[in-house]
Amino acid sequence: MSRRNKLNVILKKIRGKEGDIIPVLRTVPLFEGLAFRNLKKIELIVHERTFMPDEVVFYERQPGTGMYIIKKGLIKLTKTINEEKAKIAELGEGEFFGEMSLLEDYPRSAQATAVMKTEVLGIFRPDLFDLIERNPKLGSKILMKLSQRLANRLRKTTEMKLKEVV
Amino acid sequence: MEKNEFQKLWKTFEIIAIGCVLFGILLVLYLIRALLTPFIIAFVITFFLNPIVDYMEGEGINRTLAVILLIILTLIFLFLLWKLTWPTIQTEISSFQKNAPFYISKIQDSLERAMKLLEKNTGFIPEGVLQKAIQQKINDLASGMRDIGSLLTIVKELVSTLILSQVVVFFFLKDGRRIKKVLIAYVPNKYFETFLNLIYEIDKQISNYIRGQLTDAFFVGVLAVIGLYLFGISYAIFIGAVAGIANIVPYIGPLLVFTFGGLLVLIDTGSIINLLKVVGVLGLVKLVDSMAISPLAVGRSVNVHPLMVIIVISIGGLLHGIWGMLLSVPLYCSMRVSFRILYRGFVEYGNW
Repeated sequence: MSRRNKLNVILKKIRGKEGDIIPVLRTVPLFEGLAFRNLKKIELIVHERTFMPDEVVFYERQPGTGMYIIKKGLIKLTKTINEEKAKIAELGEGEFFGEMSLLEDYPRSAQATAVMKTEVLGIFRPDLFDLIERNPKLGSKILMKLSQRLANRLRKTTEMKLKEVV
Repeated sequence: MEKNEFQKLWKTFEIIAIGCVLFGILLVLYLIRALLTPFIIAFVITFFLNPIVDYMEGEGINRTLAVILLIILTLIFLFLLWKLTWPTIQTEISSFQKNAPFYISKIQDSLERAMKLLEKNTGFIPEGVLQKAIQQKINDLASGMRDIGSLLTIVKELVSTLILSQVVVFFFLKDGRRIKKVLIAYVPNKYFETFLNLIYEIDKQISNYIRGQLTDAFFVGVLAVIGLYLFGISYAIFIGAVAGIANIVPYIGPLLVFTFGGLLVLIDTGSIINLLKVVGVLGLVKLVDSMAISPLAVGRSVNVHPLMVIIVISIGGLLHGIWGMLLSVPLYCSMRVSFRILYRGFVEYGNW
């Protein structure tokens, strides 16, 4: 084994194992480009939950506390329109939902239900705010990404509305 | 329809079962309360030190290293405090113990004289009834005063528990988040978000209260000791320390210290001037506390109406004495916030 490889092995041992949460976190745009040590800090505030088929992750109008990242499985998002539930999206591995609740205590806009046995990683507002207080640098990076995502969504909605008007 | 009825019944049963489990846990904790003292002390210290560790971690220091550093600093601080104040505390308590019989006989004499006068002048109270009652109360007081002798042992035990609890503090500070996460993992999916919110809010209420009150108590105690010492009052450290500790109990605590400190000095020296000095110093300290220290340290951590605080403290005192008085306000705040969150989660949004 070359000296460089040996050094890498030692470094990996010091840094600890990646486990199965960090690779999932890496795929989430909110945590894009974050260093391993920062992902480790986020891993500490992640809650792993498993939902059975047809089990509800959260209900529409329920006060939201955080976002979920799908580690394995499938989640269906439905919304009540004219007293009937309409499917608005189906999300798979690596995708996430409920991120608006990271910013404000507002009722959920849709219901999330597991389609099959689904493993999710939950990140919740109280823990995120705690992390921001403890690590302002890391916190501002996450908030920046979150704002960019919301700005993107706002731009798309505005463009759609403009097209409708024109 | 029938299925719905059954589901409703089942959900009610679930809620009752959860309530029973929580009650069972509280009951077990109550039964083993004697073993819990170092853990309760460790909890309080952890709530107090956690923001400092968080700040150090935010500044880039490894959390374990930050915890070790902070505990070493705390132990050094405790050691210095012990070395500086212990000889004086010891002298003050021993002198108080030695003079106790003299104080009691002084109180007894003046009270008996007053009762005799009352019995004579009112006419309808049979002679000796009030005097006998006073005699009984004085005997109780005398046995109470003898118990003060064990105060030194209590202080010594408290200090050793404080040092021992540092081990628990180390793990609470270092792995607190992991411990919390492991415990939360057992909550069913359905109640998870509500429970997480609940834990966070209770944690915020209790930690704000403990942090605020301890900081406030420390400054009030130090100011009272300095003030009393400058005015040459005997038992300055004793009265000052009691003033600091009693300040943790809002409204009622300071009132008790005024009475206790004033009476002690009056009986000890018999001088009205000294009584005025004590009341003046304690009053000034309370004024500075209300205007400057408390708003900064405690702030709006206890957003409860003063009347409610007095009611809650009285109930706490009635049920569990001093501990009840100390813990009643944060307990009430936790219960209030729990009710608000549970009501919102379970009733308003039908999440049950």
